Parts: sequence; structure tokens; C-alpha cells
Amino acid sequence: MTMLFLHLVVDGIVTGCAIGLVAATFAYFYSTSGTFHVAHAGVYTFCGYVAWYCTTWGIPFVPSLLIAMGVGALLGVIIQGLLYARLAQIKASPLVMLIGSIGVLTVLQNLAAIFFTPNIIQFEFPWRIANVELGPIFLSVPQLLILILCPLLYVALLLFSSYTALGRQIRAVASNPELAQITHLRPRRMFIYAIAISSAMVAVPGVLVGIDQAMQPYTSLIILLTAVVAVIAGGIGSLTGAFFMSIALSTIQSVSVLLVSGRWSLAVVFVIFIVFILVRPEGLVKRKFSREL
Amino acid sequence: MNFLFSFIVLAEIFAIVAISTNLLMGVVGIFSVAQAAIMGCGAYAYAVLAAAGVPFVPAMGGAMMIAASVNMLTALPSLRLAGDYFVITSFGTQLVATAVFINWVVFTGGAAGLPGIPVAEIFGISFVTAGEFLWISSVALGLVALSFWSLLRSPYGKLLHAIRLDEIAVAASGRKVLRAKIGVSLVSGAYAGCGGALYAAYISFIDPVSFDIHVSVLVITMVVIGGARTLAGSILGPFLLLAIPQVLTLLELSSTQVGPVRQLIYGLILIVCVVWRPQGLAGRSL
Repeated sequence: MTMLFLHLVVDGIVTGCAIGLVAATFAYFYSTSGTFHVAHAGVYTFCGYVAWYCTTWGIPFVPSLLIAMGVGALLGVIIQGLLYARLAQIKASPLVMLIGSIGVLTVLQNLAAIFFTPNIIQFEFPWRIANVELGPIFLSVPQLLILILCPLLYVALLLFSSYTALGRQIRAVASNPELAQITHLRPRRMFIYAIAISSAMVAVPGVLVGIDQAMQPYTSLIILLTAVVAVIAGGIGSLTGAFFMSIALSTIQSVSVLLVSGRWSLAVVFVIFIVFILVRPEGLVKRKFSREL
Repeated sequence: MNFLFSFIVLAEIFAIVAISTNLLMGVVGIFSVAQAAIMGCGAYAYAVLAAAGVPFVPAMGGAMMIAASVNMLTALPSLRLAGDYFVITSFGTQLVATAVFINWVVFTGGAAGLPGIPVAEIFGISFVTAGEFLWISSVALGLVALSFWSLLRSPYGKLLHAIRLDEIAVAASGRKVLRAKIGVSLVSGAYAGCGGALYAAYISFIDPVSFDIHVSVLVITMVVIGGARTLAGSILGPFLLLAIPQVLTLLELSSTQVGPVRQLIYGLILIVCVVWRPQGLAGRSL
């Protein structure tokens, strides 16, 4: 029983790290530009497929991952440059932005289904199912990669945002676009940087989760839902809140299997979300510079 | 001929669901991707009631009531908060509803669906073929359209418009915003439930895939391409979009490609509309 519990917790933490990076990157772009970027899930899926496609050409894992990240960044720039920027120019309401984003999500998911395949696919790496023994727990190699890379990238994003000139400029635009514009920081260019960074990063969990489990074009919405619930519960605008809330949510979701059937684990997350918006809609961590919703 | 009738019946059913979405999205400005789920609640409720021997009209009423309450209950926690919370709630509602349709096997028949839903029968006349069912769907669409039209022109409708334009101003002038939104979610839920019940009665088979998130996106696309806040838009959209699969059959795609290509077109329509034609074909700007 305790072994099972331990395994469920570890599983939850691994999934949580992957979702955490999705949540942190979503929160990063959201707090910068205010766009509710649902298409993030589409980028996540599409990059996974790109990496898979590269491996079918015999390209090894690391270059495939890097190519996927590059494609992710490019997709992000295209989405921001061709859609969000235009919509912002014609002063579209958030509702219209969201509809556009859902359009992009639908397009990306189905492009993946058309170019590659709508069926479930798996990576052909021999190390995919190899196990690593860490004391009493076993982790597969992809899980170990998730456990190392995702938190690392999250920390990198935090450091980038706080300590580099570009990161600070992006934050300046996020907290006060008008003032930033006066001081010659072009908000539109900063939005492009922000979406490129978050889209490149979201490729990593996209590929790794794809290797660990399997890929299908339409499953990413469930991951996005958990991620966005974590963003809201962790306090909108807080990357740390989003990341750790994702881990907490996934762990609860994973452990909930002991009490309710695994088929309802999505409902568990949703119930937590409802409780949060009833009791503490501002999230666990309250931010000083929160963006008005 | 039967084929044409069948197309019109389905388009009319989706027009009812589109009106329901238009009321939420176009009139009040509440974005929801859960309309297919609410429609599904109506369909399953109708199927269970009809199978239990309840006649068509009461079963339909029951389905509408259940769909309205589900819509209201799922919306309630987030209605008092700002828009983005509602988006997530509706995403969650849709995904959880699909999980319920698949897993609550006793009522829903699970992933295999519910076959053999009894034929609609009013005063001893049964409506079996598409041509016969067209009467029911047309009358239902007529009633829904009439109520939508008069709702928009009533003082209540004016209040709803005002909420979309400036919620704070409405609250400041002493109107009850939350109460109005709850009312709208009830009406919109009842419309969607009506659409779902008609769908179940007409197809006589329902399964979770008929009401998943792709269907919600389809309904949103219908409203966006038709145009917000007008009846013409909500009726035009379904007729146009349901014709797309028919056109695609001319293209000789492989069977695995048809679904994704259709979805891809919906996605492209959404993007094109928001960028170049936010008012759709026959509506006002979103």
C-alpha cells in the first residue's frame, strides 16, 4: 500500500513537472501580453509531432528536441505576428482574441493529424522503456528526463525574467505597457520575444511526455486545462505559483486513484478549480502587480 | 429528397444550438466552449426519459429543464468573476461532461452510446422519416427563434446588451448583473437542451462523440461565421457549415483524413473571421 502510494506520488510529481512547465510558460505569456493563449496546447502537440517526425528520419533525440523547440518558437512568432498583433491593432475584445486562439489551436491539432497521423503514435527509442532505479522507486528514462529538464527550464525562465536585460524589459512591458512605450521599449517586439520563449519551452514537455506515454493530436487540451487551473490557483502572473500548483494538482490527481476510479481524475482537478474560484479566486499567492482580468 | 430533408433537419437542430450560443457569446459576451456538453445533457436526458415511456413533449420539457439547470449550475461559480474564469469553467465543463457521458454507463451506455431511442410521437402521429421530422424541427426552431427575437427586444434584452457593453456601468446603475447572467444561462441552457433532445429523437442514437469539444468548436464557428446577435446569422451559420462535410465527400480524401480536414477548415474559418470579418456574414461585430 505504501509502495503504491509512493509510486502514485512520484508519478504525479513527474507529470506535474511537465504540466508545470506548460503552466509557467502559459502564465509568462499571459502576464506579459494579457492574451489567453489557448493555442499554447496546439504548439505543445505540434512540437511533439515534429520531434517524432525527425526521429523517423533517423535524427537522434537531442537534435530532434532542439528542432522541435525551434519550430515551437517559430510557430509562436507566427501566431503573435500574424494574428494577435493584428487583432490588437483593430482593438479586438478579449473574446475575439480567444476565438482566434481557439481557431489556431484547432488548426495546429488538425495539421498534426493531417501531416503526420491522427492515430496514437510512439517514439521508437530503445531507451524509452528502460528503467532507472532510485532507491525504492523506478523511473523510466523519459520520466527522469522530465524530472530534470522541466524544473531546470522553469528555473531558467525565472532567472531570465529577473536577471537579464531582455527579461527585465519584457517584465517592464508587462507591468506598464504605456510607460514602457515612452521609454522606447516596443511592447509588440517584447510580446514576440515572450511568445517565442514560452513556445520553445513548451516544446520540451510536449516531446518528453510524447516519448514517455504516446501522442495523439487532441489530448493536449486536458493538459492545458490542468495547467490553466494551476495558473489560476497559483495566482495569475506568478510563475512559481503556476509551476508548483501544477505539481500539487497532478499529485492529487494521481493519488486520487486510490479513492475514486482513474476515469474521474479530470473531474477531481475540476472540482479543485471550482473550490478555488469559490473560496479564493485570486489564487494562493497574491501578486502585487497583478494584471487586471 | 430524403437526403436534403435530413440535411435541413440537422441544420435546424444546430441552428437552435447556435442561437443558444449566440445568446451567451454574442449578446452577453460570455464565451462558452461547453455548448455541446449542454446539448448532450439534453439529449441524454431525453433519451432516458423517452426510454422510460415519457411522451415526446414532456420528455422534451424535462430535457430542457435538465440542460438549463446543468448550464446554470456549472456557470454559477464563475459568473461572478471575470471572463477568463468562465472560459476555463466551460472548458472544464465540456471535458468533464464528455468523461461523464463515457463513464456513467448505467444512464449513457458508455462509449458505445445509446441506440434505439423511441421515435417522436405527438397525438398518436409518429415522426419517423426526415420529411416528417422536418415539421417538428421547423416548429421548434420557429419557437426558439421567436423567443430569441422577442427576448432581444424586451427590456431584459436591453439589459443584456448593456452588460456586454459596460458591466460596471450596469452594476453602478443598480441593475442586478449576476441575476441577469443567471437568467441568460438558464435560457441558453434550455435552448441547447432543446437542440439535444431533437437530435436524440431524430437520429435515435447518441454517443459521447456527438457532444464532444469538437462539436462545441463547430457551434462556435457557426455563430462566428453567421455573425453575432442576429437570428439570420445563427441560422445561416449551421446551414453553411454542415454543407462543408458534403462538399468534402467530393474530394476523395482517405477516411482518416476527412475528420481532421473538416476540423482544419473550421479552425481556418474562425481565424479568417476574427481578423477580416468579425461581424460574420449576417451579424454584428462580436
